[in-house]
Amino acid sequence: MKLLIVEDNTHLASDMKQFLTENGFVVEVAGTLREASQRINDYQYDLVILDLGLPDGNGLALISEIKEKEKDVAILIVTAKNSLEDKVKGLDLGADDYITKPFHKVELNARVRSVLRRNKFNRKDIIVVDALKIDLPASQAYVNDKPLILTKKEYDLLLYFMYNKNRVLTKESIAEHLWGDHIDEADSFDFIYNHIKNLRKKITAAGGKNYIQAMYGMGYKFSEES
Amino acid sequence: MKQDKSKNRRTFQLLTRTTAIYLLFTFIAFYGSALFLTNEADQFIHSYLKHRFDRAQGFIQREMREGEEFNKLPYSAEIVKLPQPVDSTLYPVYADTLVHNAAMDEMLRFRKRISIFNINNQQYKLTMIKQMDDFYQLRDDIFGSIIPAFIMLAVGIVLFNLLLSRSIFKPFNRILGIMKMYKIGTDIDVEHVNTSTAEFVKMQQLFHNMLDRIEYDYRHLKEYTENMAHEIQTPLTVIRNKTENLIADDDVMERQASAVKIIYDETNYLSRLGNTLNLLTKIENGEFNKVEELITKPIIEKHVEAVAELARLKSLQIEHRLDAMHKIMIDPFLLDIVIKNLLRNAIRYGTNEGPIRIVTETDSLNISNYGPPLDVSPEKLFERFYRNGNPQASLGLGLSLVKKICELNQMDITYQYDAHQHIFHLKQSDN
Repeated sequence: MKLLIVEDNTHLASDMKQFLTENGFVVEVAGTLREASQRINDYQYDLVILDLGLPDGNGLALISEIKEKEKDVAILIVTAKNSLEDKVKGLDLGADDYITKPFHKVELNARVRSVLRRNKFNRKDIIVVDALKIDLPASQAYVNDKPLILTKKEYDLLLYFMYNKNRVLTKESIAEHLWGDHIDEADSFDFIYNHIKNLRKKITAAGGKNYIQAMYGMGYKFSEES
Repeated sequence: MKQDKSKNRRTFQLLTRTTAIYLLFTFIAFYGSALFLTNEADQFIHSYLKHRFDRAQGFIQREMREGEEFNKLPYSAEIVKLPQPVDSTLYPVYADTLVHNAAMDEMLRFRKRISIFNINNQQYKLTMIKQMDDFYQLRDDIFGSIIPAFIMLAVGIVLFNLLLSRSIFKPFNRILGIMKMYKIGTDIDVEHVNTSTAEFVKMQQLFHNMLDRIEYDYRHLKEYTENMAHEIQTPLTVIRNKTENLIADDDVMERQASAVKIIYDETNYLSRLGNTLNLLTKIENGEFNKVEELITKPIIEKHVEAVAELARLKSLQIEHRLDAMHKIMIDPFLLDIVIKNLLRNAIRYGTNEGPIRIVTETDSLNISNYGPPLDVSPEKLFERFYRNGNPQASLGLGLSLVKKICELNQMDITYQYDAHQHIFHLKQSDN
């Protein structure tokens, strides 16, 4: 899978590039609208991650350009929080999803995967980690091929962990992923603990291992070896 | 302090004040000139009569010296030969007297003159009287006409000033009206009042200059806040990502876990702060202006649904009784913020003494939660960066955001603590 990051802040761009590369993507970076436009013309990408605030113009222009050329490329826009208008316009123009700054890398990874999965014919509909399996179209998790009964939040949480295998997910990132800004982050930490406790219980009861470990009181990591 | 003093003092309109002073001055001037005129008249009468008496006396003396007999003396003159000499320097003596005229049945005013003269070393006393009612009539008429003239003038001035205040002061009052209507940052062209009165032109000029300066500063301040809030987000994302790298690094975490945690927490705090301030600025700028009439029931239900799980985990009940017809005129995005923040607030501070209640009626929305009373006065509640109790957990901007939105959408939000419940009451004004 080949991604293009359009972002003018070089630190952020290289950070995103490194992270997504570690997650198995081929990543290129463009710092301006013109450079991005050129690259899209010359190469084939599966997904463009597009920051709207660029030095030489608004990224929305690039969406129209891509759609006019009928390129088969998914678009994930990056907007400042509360720029409701940009978000709506972007989605209207044909962007597949949006993520607001500042975002967590793990959240970016999850969004990228879900956009690609929805958009691509060669999508991976099943994610497997050890004894755990998730059937994405059916939104169903299995342990050793036995269906696991999860609440919606538990399912979202498990999927978020599996998308970001072997990564530390901070409590903040989990809270934002699960609840958006319906809740003050610090308030939500107890709830996260609760959800994770229940999720662990359900997985181990069904014969799975304890995949989720607490990390220094800051977050959790999902990995095969426990 | 100075201000308080001038506040307590009674105020008068400028024109009323000048008119009063003007009238007082005119009254004094009129009174003065009346005194002057009557005095002049008295002197005139006196010198005229003196002249007539002198002539008569001269005639009498001449006749007597020549030994003539009088058959008729002028001015009812009486001549008396004085047995003993008197000091003639004390004479002539004048006296005014009233005599009843039987024919006309009126009192007439007469002047009497007593004088002494010598003929052949014999002193004579001469007494003459002359009617002078006509003169006095004239003198009194002069004095009497002054008062009606003054009253007419006063009435004229007052009427004239009333008209003046309507016409001359019209631009002044309009400028005042515009000043009163002006609200900072509204971005509406301030109306220009046409006037050729130099003072008003100057005042209006100063007012406009002042507005320009205020608007300029205000815009810059807003731009600064906006830019800060926005531009800060990218670096914060970088810092946060780098910190997340550190969190994933066991070597670092074993030695520096607490430092990394602090960096991470503070970065998140800054980022949320920036976002919320940015949102506040955008709301103030009126960027959310797609006002529609929204039926609140489904919107509130959606929000309750979103937080139901959190409430359950905190063992809080949420009860709602919603009027299907309750409507609010507002941008949907803003209504979301209002409800989200009020609910979030209720869940954050609510205790499980009783349920969180959301009630809508025809024209009001109430949301209440149980809990101990506030430590401070309720007005503080809506201030920025006020948090009750645990300061780390929240920004302290939620309720000030709600308040700001209400202000900009003609809604009143009030707070009340009653029977262990914190109650927020939201009501949209009629217009």
